[in-house]
Amino acid sequence: MKLYCLSGHPTLPCNVLKFKSTTIMLDCGLDTTSVLNFLPLPLVHSPRLSKLPSWVSKDGTINLEKELKECAGRVFVDSQPEFCLPEKELLDLSTIDVILISNYHCMMALPYITEHTGFTGTVYATEPTLTIGRLFMEELVNFMERVPKAQSATCWKNKEIQRMLPGPLKDAVDVYTWKRSYSMQEVNSALSKVQLVGYSQKVELFGAVQVSPLSSGYSLGSSNWIIQSHHEKVSYVSGSSLLTTHPQPMDQSSLKNSDVLILTGLTQMPTANPDGMLGEFCSNLAMTIRAGGNVLVPCYSSGVIYDLLECLYQFIDSANLGTTPFYFISPVANSSLEFSQIFAEWLCHNKQSKVYLPEPPFPHAELIQTNKLKHYPSIHGDFSSEFRQPCVVFTGHPSLRFGDVVHFMELWGKSSLNTIIFTEPDFSYLDALAPYQPLAMKCVYCPIDTRLNFHQVSKLLKEVQPLHVVCPEQYTQPPLTQSHRSDLMLELQPPPMPYRRCSVLNLPFRRSYERVYIMPELANSLVPSEIKPGVSLATVSAVLHSKDNKHTLQSVPKPPPAPPSKKRKRVLDEPPLVLAPKPLLSGAVPLEAFLATLQKQGITEVKVEETADGHILHLQAEDTLIQLEEDGTHIVCDNNEPLRTTLRDLVLRFLQKL
Amino acid sequence: MDRECVSLLPGVCEVLADPGTSLPDDTSLEKLLDWFTGLIEAGGSLLEACPCLLEFISTVVHNTASDPGVLSFTLRLTGLVSATEDGFKMLQERSVLNEVFNLKHWQEAGLWEDPCLRIGWIQGLRSMLQHPEALSFFVQSAFLDPLLQLQTDTSLFVASAANQMLAHVLLFFQPVSSPGCNGVDKKAEDDGRTHTSAEYTAVVTSISQYLKESLVPKENTKHHQSLQILKLLALLLAKAGPPLRDKLLQTVGDSLEELVTAGGSELTLPLMDVVLAAYSSGTDERVTRLLASMLNINKPADLIHAAAAFLRRGRCDAVHTARAVRVLLLPLDVITGQSLLGTNTTADAHQVSVVEQLKSKTPCISMICVCLTNTPQIALTPSGVLPCPPVLIITAVLSLLSICSGVSSSSSTGSSEVYRNVIGNGKVQKCALEALTALSSSPGAMEKISEVFTVLIQYLDNPDSDPTVLHKSYQALLKWTSVCTDFSLVTDHLRHDLIEVVKKRVCDMRWEVRDSTVEFLGHLTGVRVSLKSVEVCDSSDVLLGVCSTTPLLKEALQDSESYVRASAIAALAKTLTHSWQQGAALTQEETEIVSRLLEILSQDTEGFPRRAVVQYFISWYSSNSSHLPLSSSGSSASLLMQCVRSVLSQGSADLDWEVKVHTLELAELLLDETFSAHQGYRKGSDAHRAPSHPYGVVSEQAHTLHTHAGTHTEGTESDLATVVEQGVMSALLSGLVDCDRPVALKACRLLITLRETVCTLSLGTLDATASMATVSCKLPGLGWGKEIIKILRLKRSDRAREADIAAQRNLSDADEGGESVSVCEALRLLGLDERLDVLTQSSDHIHNSPLSLLQDILTASAAHTQPGEEVIVDCY
Repeated sequence: MKLYCLSGHPTLPCNVLKFKSTTIMLDCGLDTTSVLNFLPLPLVHSPRLSKLPSWVSKDGTINLEKELKECAGRVFVDSQPEFCLPEKELLDLSTIDVILISNYHCMMALPYITEHTGFTGTVYATEPTLTIGRLFMEELVNFMERVPKAQSATCWKNKEIQRMLPGPLKDAVDVYTWKRSYSMQEVNSALSKVQLVGYSQKVELFGAVQVSPLSSGYSLGSSNWIIQSHHEKVSYVSGSSLLTTHPQPMDQSSLKNSDVLILTGLTQMPTANPDGMLGEFCSNLAMTIRAGGNVLVPCYSSGVIYDLLECLYQFIDSANLGTTPFYFISPVANSSLEFSQIFAEWLCHNKQSKVYLPEPPFPHAELIQTNKLKHYPSIHGDFSSEFRQPCVVFTGHPSLRFGDVVHFMELWGKSSLNTIIFTEPDFSYLDALAPYQPLAMKCVYCPIDTRLNFHQVSKLLKEVQPLHVVCPEQYTQPPLTQSHRSDLMLELQPPPMPYRRCSVLNLPFRRSYERVYIMPELANSLVPSEIKPGVSLATVSAVLHSKDNKHTLQSVPKPPPAPPSKKRKRVLDEPPLVLAPKPLLSGAVPLEAFLATLQKQGITEVKVEETADGHILHLQAEDTLIQLEEDGTHIVCDNNEPLRTTLRDLVLRFLQKL
Repeated sequence: MDRECVSLLPGVCEVLADPGTSLPDDTSLEKLLDWFTGLIEAGGSLLEACPCLLEFISTVVHNTASDPGVLSFTLRLTGLVSATEDGFKMLQERSVLNEVFNLKHWQEAGLWEDPCLRIGWIQGLRSMLQHPEALSFFVQSAFLDPLLQLQTDTSLFVASAANQMLAHVLLFFQPVSSPGCNGVDKKAEDDGRTHTSAEYTAVVTSISQYLKESLVPKENTKHHQSLQILKLLALLLAKAGPPLRDKLLQTVGDSLEELVTAGGSELTLPLMDVVLAAYSSGTDERVTRLLASMLNINKPADLIHAAAAFLRRGRCDAVHTARAVRVLLLPLDVITGQSLLGTNTTADAHQVSVVEQLKSKTPCISMICVCLTNTPQIALTPSGVLPCPPVLIITAVLSLLSICSGVSSSSSTGSSEVYRNVIGNGKVQKCALEALTALSSSPGAMEKISEVFTVLIQYLDNPDSDPTVLHKSYQALLKWTSVCTDFSLVTDHLRHDLIEVVKKRVCDMRWEVRDSTVEFLGHLTGVRVSLKSVEVCDSSDVLLGVCSTTPLLKEALQDSESYVRASAIAALAKTLTHSWQQGAALTQEETEIVSRLLEILSQDTEGFPRRAVVQYFISWYSSNSSHLPLSSSGSSASLLMQCVRSVLSQGSADLDWEVKVHTLELAELLLDETFSAHQGYRKGSDAHRAPSHPYGVVSEQAHTLHTHAGTHTEGTESDLATVVEQGVMSALLSGLVDCDRPVALKACRLLITLRETVCTLSLGTLDATASMATVSCKLPGLGWGKEIIKILRLKRSDRAREADIAAQRNLSDADEGGESVSVCEALRLLGLDERLDVLTQSSDHIHNSPLSLLQDILTASAAHTQPGEEVIVDCY
């Protein structure tokens, strides 16, 4: 069993598990942090961004005038943003049989994998994962396509040139694998390969293994996966949460008794407690509005935003924000808000029960109804006529490189009354803000990451007790910036097996059993004999039939009655045919009793020598050796067949025959 | 004793003696005993007053079918009666005592199993043992052994009572001449001292022998007995005079030493109590040795508790204090890496085991909390005893706080394995913050102020701090601000951070946090600090800038939580007090605040903010009147008077009785202000403070008014008119007929004061009185006005002897339009003095009287004997 690790990002994993002749891809996360190296894509013409000076190396030798621009003391690539794909060279992606998706954040690389690689398999995901995943992809494509950039920068990726570049660009890895966004057509094609599954539904893969998704509590439809055969069980734990937010709670007990547990998607912010951050979010928001400023919340169009809106729903009145407008701007805003209300069966119990009242499970319905929350596909159109300040705007993309958020950064960045509140943990806020510096706007960083923290995960692992744990190497040491926090790492016995991008791990368990079925008529013909109380044995002669990874024992077909014409050959065939199977022997030869028997046979001069495995009896007069070992007995006597036979029979007397 | 009670008592005794009757509730026997105890304490003889009790006791004792509760009562009653020598003799003559306390009798009747009876036996004996004869009886009846057995009774109450009793026997009868002995009755001095001494000595000998034998547990499981004995020893040693103390120590000393050496964890603290009790009543070599070994026991957790107990006693002894201090500082030293113990840590052999203990969570937290709690006291110990400068302790606490919040610097050399136990731990954080607050007064604290502010602001900013931690951080910040002498140490940067964090916290999601923040803002303005440049000013001005507090508080007036609104109002009052006192001109902001406050008073659904509003005006009025005569036409004063009028009318019509009481306090201030110059006016605050009612509202500050110099009587009429015009009279009259007793009481007292000032009917001032009569006030025809009119008419008609009922009815159905009455007439006619008498009595005075108790018992039994008629007795 092998694990190929195609992504080094612990929360955006992409691993391939080879298990019993199946090749299973676990998630295909797209590392979008690469976009931080690119210039923002302004939705409205920005004089500032359009007049940036080109970057020229100090000695003037490198001049990528068209590709690199200097902005706020850093160098950015002036091109459509590109993403860091999972590793494609480590194994042939066309051999992948299935892809299991655990949540909508971890499927953004799907079109890159399923299209143009020869992939012919199936993708399994839950319904909300597919729906919201599609929204995310649509949004991404929309963000890119509505601000088309003709040129694509490639020269800077030249290794020689990249080495000379300053700052973070120089240290960017695998820049050659970076790719532009996919098209809507590719998205549709990729998503057409998805087959929907429900929690605990069992899906057979080629008869060899069974896969089944479990609720992971992190987002709508998010799942962990169990991959098992009759005798082995592998658990794949991706983004999971034990907090009480909107999704169905995590199913922990089904993870028990795993041979291997692959652990990914822990919180990216182990020191930021989500409750505290939510409080921080609310108080900073209220503080800014009270002072007459605007609040910008760069966020994804699904997920934490539901919880933020729910929290604000309760907070608005107590903080006297009743009249402040809240705007949610995204090409998929409407779909996201509406879909969230219809996935009742995937929601936590509390919200599920609301549906029977009947009430919308999320309170944002009421916010919309009372006109406190308004949503728009983009800043163009209706929004511009309704826009009122001071206000709160939720919009994407959290990287601040594309999407409507870019416009608000240009609009509000210059006033210290305004605040930008980062709630998504995926991007470093300082890097995200780099092209907007100098910035007068107040910045608040309250990343809300509800995924498991180290304390919760060690408790979970103590409960489910997997034999082996595999995890990204980042989890096996304290965070770089907080080396004294030994509580922020996984400490297990045996220690977890770390992986990084491009690792190939041999998972540490040997498959020792396989299930074989026995046909009824064959079973009927068996004559078991009890060798010790409760244990019976029988010998079987049968034909092993293997098909679709299922093994069956069938009766040996009766030899066709020998045609008389073959009589001549009979002499040749006879020995194998008449050779009845010899009885199987079991038991041990007791030394004392055996010696006594030898004596009765007149063999008296026996020298017994003790060896590591048993005894060697030297019959001195006969010049013969008998080696009695745990799993074999040898009689060594030269040219005295009668004696050998006698001795053999004596030995057989002490053994059980089957 | 009340004659009526005496006549009822025989009946009650009969009822109690009858096994079949039931009692009104299970507290009635206790109440009866309390009553009897009160009678004896008042110096009466119970048997003389109620001879029926003797009969009762002998009847009950012979009837084993009685309820165990009644039997227990009887035992205790017997003890009470025989507490006096006369009573004792009388019972002895009737040979009742032997029967009552006869153990065998109870055991044979199978009643001894009931803990209720055992406790009655012990308490009865304890009450009796007040004179030598009783001791003789006790010794001759051989009660000591059973009592010692009861010391380890299965019932904790019985065991504890037995312990108390043993202590009583030893302490009460110890020779009186010895200095330092307590609790000896004067009577015991005159008679029988020599007589009892032999018996007493025997008792002492057998008890101490018992203590010696049973102190060390025989098996590991029998800790219970040792524990009880240790408790008894601690009781005895704390109060025993030298002979008894010496005798006890001499007997049990070896056993104590054995116990200390054995070092049983459960016994450490009680053992330490014993050693410390012995240590504080005198030092000898053995006690010192015991103490030294207690401070050297091998289990770190126990050791820390022992050291803390020693330090708490506060008896200075350089050697042991130094040792205890080292023990207590060690865990802090280990975690923070601050070398609190100097470089010579090898002396602490148990450091390794301390480090081991700290690695597991529960002991770690408990140990650190004990250390932290004691740090303030440690910092105050003399420098010769302290292993480090006191400032270093502050540094260590600050460092621990940083570790707890997860931001500890990497330079810290403390054990990282211990970190994980304390990171984010609220209990340690709270303890450390409390310690830090107390450490502000330790020597050299000032040099740390900048670091303290940094850590506290970081705590206030931390999103994970829970509301109590934030509250404690605010308290610490206030304390350190109040002791700060040089604000140049608090950098602008820190001030900016503080402003930001406070602004953030007033918007917090949790109302507790908003409340603490608002409270903090109020307290901060109350802390007056002196600066080098400016003489005196608000610390809030120094720290938060002049203009940031009020807008934040104003915003908080809109808060959704009533507590926060109330705190904001109180904080605003504190913030503005200074400008009121200086008579500063009214700002636009203040005007807005005032109108918002009046809005709250009239519309807020919760009581707290409305109470706070009235108090706001009380403090405004009392600060303002010191500078401006109310007649002055300053805008501030005229707004104030305008508000006072509406506060009086709205406040007295409020539904919340506390609002009404506060409103009356405001009225009182107005009266004080108006009439303080008049002869015969007693300020309300002087006159009525005395008996404070248990439920009464205690006003937060005593408002004192500056009074005009000189006395004059000629203006009384116009003053009265002013008061009436301001609405004081209406407030007082409506309060008088209020259904809430504290309100009515307060109003009544104020009205009496007013009557005594303005309506003195002496011949010399007849003219004045006559003119006074012209001042009248209008009564509304509804509500309280109607009620006052009714009272007044009734009184008038009484006076006119027109007792015609029909006429009265006509009067009471009078016009709804209200009427005007002369103030003086009203004051005289309302019967204020009778009302005051009624109101001063506690509302349950009727139900609590012994008479009602006896009646209840009789009624309950009557109900019991007549089935079908159910009497429900209210139990409050």
